[in-house]
Amino acid sequence: MSAASAREATPKLRFTAVAKEFVAPRTGKRTLAVTDVGLSIEAGEFVCVVGPSGCGKSTIMNLVAGLDAPTSGTITMDGRPIAGPGADRGVMFQDYALYPWLTVSQNIGFGLENGTPGRGLSRAERDARVRHFVELVRLKGAEDKFPHQLSGGMCQRVALARLLANGPDVLLMDEPLGALDAQTRLILQVELLRIWGETAPRAERKTAIFITHDIEEAVFLADRVVVMGTGPGRIRAILPIDLPRPREEGTRADPRFAALTKQVWELIRDDAYQAIG
Amino acid sequence: MANSLAPSPSIGLRSVPLTIWRAIALPLLLLVAWQLWAMGLPADTRAPSPAKVLAGFVRLTLAGDLPLALIQSIGRVVAGFLIALVLGLSLGLAMGRIRWVRDGLEPIVESFRPIAPMAILPIAILFLGTGTPAALSIVAYAAFFPLLLNVMHGVSRVDPKLVLAARTMGVPPLRTFTHVILPAAMPSVLLGSRLAMGSAWTAIIAAELAVGAKAGGGTSGGIGQMMFVFYAYSIDLNGIVVCMIVVGVVALLIDRAFRGAERILVRGREAT
Amino acid sequence: MGLSGFDHHDRAGSGALDAAAALRRQAPQRLRAALGSRPVAAVRSFVVVLGVWWGLSLWNANPIQLPAPPAVFAALANVASDGELLENAMISTGRLALSLVIAVAMAVPLGFWMGMSRRAHAYIDPVVEMLRPISGIAWIPLALFIFGVGDTLPVFIMTYVAFFPLLLNTIAGVRGVSRRLVQAAETMGVSRAAIVRRVIMPAALPSIVVGFRLAFAGAWAAIVAAELIGAPSGLGFAIEWYRQLLMTPKIFAYIMAIGFVGYVCDQLLQGLQRRLTPWTDRSRG
Repeated sequence: MSAASAREATPKLRFTAVAKEFVAPRTGKRTLAVTDVGLSIEAGEFVCVVGPSGCGKSTIMNLVAGLDAPTSGTITMDGRPIAGPGADRGVMFQDYALYPWLTVSQNIGFGLENGTPGRGLSRAERDARVRHFVELVRLKGAEDKFPHQLSGGMCQRVALARLLANGPDVLLMDEPLGALDAQTRLILQVELLRIWGETAPRAERKTAIFITHDIEEAVFLADRVVVMGTGPGRIRAILPIDLPRPREEGTRADPRFAALTKQVWELIRDDAYQAIG
Repeated sequence: MANSLAPSPSIGLRSVPLTIWRAIALPLLLLVAWQLWAMGLPADTRAPSPAKVLAGFVRLTLAGDLPLALIQSIGRVVAGFLIALVLGLSLGLAMGRIRWVRDGLEPIVESFRPIAPMAILPIAILFLGTGTPAALSIVAYAAFFPLLLNVMHGVSRVDPKLVLAARTMGVPPLRTFTHVILPAAMPSVLLGSRLAMGSAWTAIIAAELAVGAKAGGGTSGGIGQMMFVFYAYSIDLNGIVVCMIVVGVVALLIDRAFRGAERILVRGREAT
Repeated sequence: MGLSGFDHHDRAGSGALDAAAALRRQAPQRLRAALGSRPVAAVRSFVVVLGVWWGLSLWNANPIQLPAPPAVFAALANVASDGELLENAMISTGRLALSLVIAVAMAVPLGFWMGMSRRAHAYIDPVVEMLRPISGIAWIPLALFIFGVGDTLPVFIMTYVAFFPLLLNTIAGVRGVSRRLVQAAETMGVSRAAIVRRVIMPAALPSIVVGFRLAFAGAWAAIVAAELIGAPSGLGFAIEWYRQLLMTPKIFAYIMAIGFVGYVCDQLLQGLQRRLTPWTDRSRG
């Protein structure tokens, strides 16, 4: 077997019978957050995870990021089990997790400055990289501002630029657009796809896991949508999204878009009602 | 703050002794070291030791000196605190709700605030002598600022929507004040009281200490003066340490009592 | 303080403000912010206080108890011109600075240790909580015995007083560091040591700075008591000295000096706080 075909055979990320149980520190109460998660994600694939609140979406992300370890089952990346957090998997948190004492440029360069992604880079190279990503997310002119001086949409771009500047293999995004107003959100969805490399050939794209509770957002962005359910959190269904790329505003008018959205909603509906009730 | 910093209680019966053990390990070690150190000194030493301090505590308590001094000091603190409470509450409410009162008084308050109670003491002695009235005025001065500032901020930060809502329901101004503004400002009032009581207790010790120090051990009494007498006349270091510990315990009890009151009163309010 | 510094600009009213007017208003605004209140009202208040004081002193007619304002200002000019005031103020602030430096050097590292290690906190905290209720003042008699009258006593008392707010605020600051910020650094491949230096330290800084201001306030209140009882120099000593000489105008002069120095130091610390932690909310200083 050639090296190339071996790489093809190993998915970028593979979940095998993954379960995660939390034990409350004081009461000792056990909660099963997710169970029986099995999933393979190919390199360059954009996967959206949707589900009602409490389905363990964020747990999945923490497990991939290595911030938590599964109680049972395995998660591998390129065939090797995930042993802890590392810069090969970049995370974009829901609340952005920007450092309030650093400027926009310093935030974007934080990983290059202090972490493994900056190893072997000269000062000038790091600065150039930061400048490149400042421009990519259209933050030129705001480099020296502090996060508290920025709008939610701008903070989100800083977080995205920081994620990309570290050059991770896998992008993990936990409801990154969740805190934004509806209009900004639509604009940034298109922008996110542009930056991810929608127009580039598949081999040059990053692998992305995008967590959201917004069904339309998931269908609009994803190659495949993983629908999760509650009680305990588990995978309900995995839907391939065969809408053509690059996707734009017109995509939402596509009858297939409406059909897919409806299909996802029907899978989620019962759990969602239960979550409120 | 102390509450949130406390280590989280462990679960299970077996780990409880461990928590207690951890809590007393270092204090016990220090106490033993202190005792051993004192035992190594010559027999006629004045240096205090835990055993002698304990003996001193028993002796002073049985003789009635310590309880009497304690009652005197606490009585002064309570009286001074009440004076400050009346002044601080009324002025704080006025400054918090009425713009021109605040504009007029705030500069004066702010210019007195950095002046420590002890700096006022010489003036108080000039006017009131070295007895209880001088000590009371120092205590009231010390307790006044935390009360005033917290009451003022408490009532001025009451959400205007709550007041407007009451007005739209036709509640008259006085009733709005007693039923909306005061309850909403309650947490700040309680916090101010706790801080005020803390500085009042510190101030009384300082005042009694200094009054005793300068009046040559008069009859004004109080635990602060008791310390001075031990320092200047009987040269009883064990007695001084007894007083320090008692001062600390009283401070702790005052703090806990006010925290307890805050929890009960504020929690009751949050539930509504 | 600064609380009322923001809302009164609206008085300019309904008309549109041109840039020139806005510029013209900037300097007085800064002055207002420095005064912490509306200057006109402040001046009016001080005039009233001065009048009441003068009236009371005439009515009291005992210059040893309550001297008239001119006598006090003359005394102030007197102690200021012969350098005595400056010397005592330098001595007191020097002791204050030394105490704060020692307190920071002890409390901040200990606070980091206790904030990051549950075990260290469990062992050390009981000792802290045992000592903390004993006020610095209560240490004076014992400290007089150990150190005698001199520089060491006030420095010891102030260091003790400054230690606790610094320690508690450092612990709270370290423990309050958002888990997210630490996790974010972990996912960027940042080492443990770099996380402490680049994330935990700056994140805890605002709380430590607040602790420093509290430490200053406590130490400044304690210095008067400490110098009044147990030092041969300094502002607190001067007050007591002139009380024994019954030179009341000079007592008043020194009380004003204590208030003034305390106020100036607090303003400087507020400035330092803004400079050091510009990202924190400073609606209340």
